[in-house]
Amino acid sequence: MRESPEIAAEFSFEKEKAIAKSFSQRFQWEMILIGLGQAVIWLSLWPLVLNGFIDLWVGFLIASLCACFAYLPSHEAQHGNYSRGNSKLRWLDGFVGHITLITLIYPYHLLRVTHMKHHAYTNDPEKDPDYFNAHTSSVLKVIKNVLDGSTLNFGKYLEVFSADKAFVNSFEKAIPIALLYRFILLVLVIIFPLETLLLWWLPAKIGSVYTTVFFSYFPHLGTSTGRYQNTRFWTHWMPRYLNHSMQLHFIHHLHPSIGHYDEPKAIEALKPFLIARKVPGANKIPDRVTLNPLIKI
Amino acid sequence: MLIEKFFDHISNWKMAWFGLIFLGSIINAVLQKSSLVGDSPYVSVFAFGAGALIGLAAKIRGAWL
Repeated sequence: MRESPEIAAEFSFEKEKAIAKSFSQRFQWEMILIGLGQAVIWLSLWPLVLNGFIDLWVGFLIASLCACFAYLPSHEAQHGNYSRGNSKLRWLDGFVGHITLITLIYPYHLLRVTHMKHHAYTNDPEKDPDYFNAHTSSVLKVIKNVLDGSTLNFGKYLEVFSADKAFVNSFEKAIPIALLYRFILLVLVIIFPLETLLLWWLPAKIGSVYTTVFFSYFPHLGTSTGRYQNTRFWTHWMPRYLNHSMQLHFIHHLHPSIGHYDEPKAIEALKPFLIARKVPGANKIPDRVTLNPLIKI
Repeated sequence: MLIEKFFDHISNWKMAWFGLIFLGSIINAVLQKSSLVGDSPYVSVFAFGAGALIGLAAKIRGAWL
């Protein structure tokens, strides 16, 4: 990476990368537990509700919570953060990535390739598949677009990246899975209409809204293009434990291999680099991020 | 060829089919539970018809909301 002359040698990219690497080694067992755990809980809701052991509305609340926890474990898988380059463990990325997304009714392959393009072209209006989530006038508009399905114009990106064989291959792999999900959904709704609505379809919508608002909208709101400029540090009234710590999402864009639960420590260590590189909001990062809810009232 | 035609059809009419099957089933289940119209013999026709109409409107508009 070519260094800007304004950046002092002590904040070089090589040094930044070495620090980040030290936080990119640990096995992400928490995420595997959350991903597979929420999928098992969600699946077990079906017999429990259908056999009258728990009320449908209670099932709906639990399913909605599961859906809110469903994306992040898949996101770690998309970056290969379970296998960490070990080819013998690569199956684990795919396994967790696929299973955890059942709750959200999305094929893993599709979210993986579009997410990789989001990283490669963050905030590019033509090439970033998440662009319309982050560059929308309000949270309400984001919610409307997610419910409508209009923010995920996957067909457009198949055209944009039609020359990218790996992208097209993954996209094509995702189609049968997407159709299978739709088929299962339509069969289930005929047999168990209200259960399908309240245990799967509506929770998946709620989970998608939650994920889009906190993962796509807030972290990229008002940011531009460029490695150190496309994601920001932000705070608001909500403690970060309720939004998967997405206030810290910028460190993920800089170093995607840092495990999610290692990000606070990594940011503490990298804070001088982030300030030197003028990451949006970096001067407001507290010295201690670990166990800090990062509330701003 | 036949599969291609099937996928083309699904791609073009997915919203209408989703309205008919998914929304129709939901509206039908809700109306069946209603004490007001639950006993009517036409409740399913109305429910699936309403679902199909919503789906068709979404297809024409190109958006659900």
